[in-house]
Amino acid sequence: MNKSAVAGVVAQGRRALHRRADPARIMEGRERRFAAALLAPAFLALMATTTFPLLFLIWTSFYRMNLSMPFMDGFAGLDNYRELLADPRFWQSLGVSLVYTASTVVLQVVIGLALAVLVHGMRRGQGLFRMVAILPVVLSPAVVGMVWRSFMLAPDFGVVDYLAVTAGLGSHNWLGDPTLALVSVIVIHTWQWTPFAFMVLLASLAALPDDIYEAARIDRASAWQSFRRITLPLLRPAIVMVIIMRTMVALTAFAAIFTVTGGGPGTATEILNLYAYRKSFTELSIGYGSALAVALLVFTLVVSGVLFALRRAK
Amino acid sequence: MTAKRLRLGILIGVSGLFLLAWIFPILWSLLNAFKTEQDVLAYPPKLVFSPTLDAFRDVLFGATSILPNLASSFIISIGTTIVTMALAIPAAYALARLRIPGKRWAGFYVLATQMLPPVGIIIPYFLILRNIGWIDTYQGIILIYLSFSLPFAIWLLVSYFEDIPFEMEEAAFLDGASRLKTLRRIILPQVQGGVAVTVVFVFLNAWNEFLFAVVLSGNTVRPVTIAMFNFVSVEQTLWAKLAAVSALAMLPVIVLGVVAQKHIVKGLTVGAVKGGGRR
Repeated sequence: MNKSAVAGVVAQGRRALHRRADPARIMEGRERRFAAALLAPAFLALMATTTFPLLFLIWTSFYRMNLSMPFMDGFAGLDNYRELLADPRFWQSLGVSLVYTASTVVLQVVIGLALAVLVHGMRRGQGLFRMVAILPVVLSPAVVGMVWRSFMLAPDFGVVDYLAVTAGLGSHNWLGDPTLALVSVIVIHTWQWTPFAFMVLLASLAALPDDIYEAARIDRASAWQSFRRITLPLLRPAIVMVIIMRTMVALTAFAAIFTVTGGGPGTATEILNLYAYRKSFTELSIGYGSALAVALLVFTLVVSGVLFALRRAK
Repeated sequence: MTAKRLRLGILIGVSGLFLLAWIFPILWSLLNAFKTEQDVLAYPPKLVFSPTLDAFRDVLFGATSILPNLASSFIISIGTTIVTMALAIPAAYALARLRIPGKRWAGFYVLATQMLPPVGIIIPYFLILRNIGWIDTYQGIILIYLSFSLPFAIWLLVSYFEDIPFEMEEAAFLDGASRLKTLRRIILPQVQGGVAVTVVFVFLNAWNEFLFAVVLSGNTVRPVTIAMFNFVSVEQTLWAKLAAVSALAMLPVIVLGVVAQKHIVKGLTVGAVKGGGRR
């Protein structure tokens, strides 16, 4: 008898046992009540903290609501959305969000994957890399932003500026120049979160079967060939998952940009998230801020729809 | 042979460079916390200096002590962790182990709530909390932290509960144990590791949260991530003190990260590899 036949018989026996002895079948009603009791508190809390605010947000997005001028409040219909579509600052922040998200995610995955392959091939020192990689990931983005802004990128005494001067690139106003400021916040995000991609991909690499690589070696495949033909296809689910997770985080990034540039200079680093915050809590225009947040939600849904389609494809 | 040596050398050099790039900003800001204000501003940057604890003494016991803010951060993080786990463990167990109608729908709901942008939650929440007078209160901030910690905790725990063989539970039933007793005696000891991973993640996320805290904090509730802005102003930034505050804000999470390193890597991988393969 071959292996699969044995497995089949075993499974059959197990199913028979299941039918006879399954106590859950006898107590189905009790089980449902038990399940409801376990689920109810968590789902009530979830609804109260996510679903209800969402509905309330959509409702306020149809209102004229300004905390500094409460006497002007009233139903506004689609006014906020009409204003939004004609608002150049909205389109600009959407563009910054796109650039910020796309570039940070691509950089994280490319660098993280390259480094994971590199470290995976090491016989010694893997532990050191894992230990160091955990550090940026556990830090608060606000503190990370503060550290970079104060001690790395400050124009007079920052280390980055010193290195640039030493390398003959000259001193720059890293956070005062619109382009450099955007590059800076992208680098900071990439610095903090590439270790995440690195750790996940390294763990996925370690889980790949060795014998395929053995076979590739016997067939005299080059290192690049075995990376292209074996590693990449096998790692695809993990890579796509990392892309999805990192995109979701990049879209809601807030603290690091808030501490480093505050969205400035001007609106050069103002992602949509930050614009909605500034509108609502700095300019106190809650109604319009709500419409911006709804736009961000729609944008998030579209992006995640695309990403999940990417995951299902093949 | 020399070509191979050269390649190895380049690989070591490149990986060493990345190692340095990750560790340097953290080490550098820690170093600055032991400098005097003049030494922080020295140009070129000083690697060798005579260390002092002045900055730490000032931020801990000076006029603007951040001890209350550290306490605030701990109250928020521990409170969020306790409430989250109390709600998430039973729910994750039910979703993973019990046969209930609408289970797929419930799982999808948990996943979908994670996609809500935080700024979209804080706007209505601010209005609600303002009406009931809960701004600048611990209950207000812990409640809203559930919006991100709870879906994450449920989602992570479900994958651990699913790993336990059904046979163990059945054996307990056949011995006449009740559902609740089985959960306590058989299931929970099995998922201890998963619970530990989840606790670490929930604590870290609560400690590091910023957007909700910046809107809802005040004089009573003021976590250290918000309080560090006290040392930054347009006229004068107190650099060494800022470095000391940053160091104190980083210390608990770095300790947690190093101690729970294996758990964290495992948690990340469960999310990316396993959860990804299943749903």
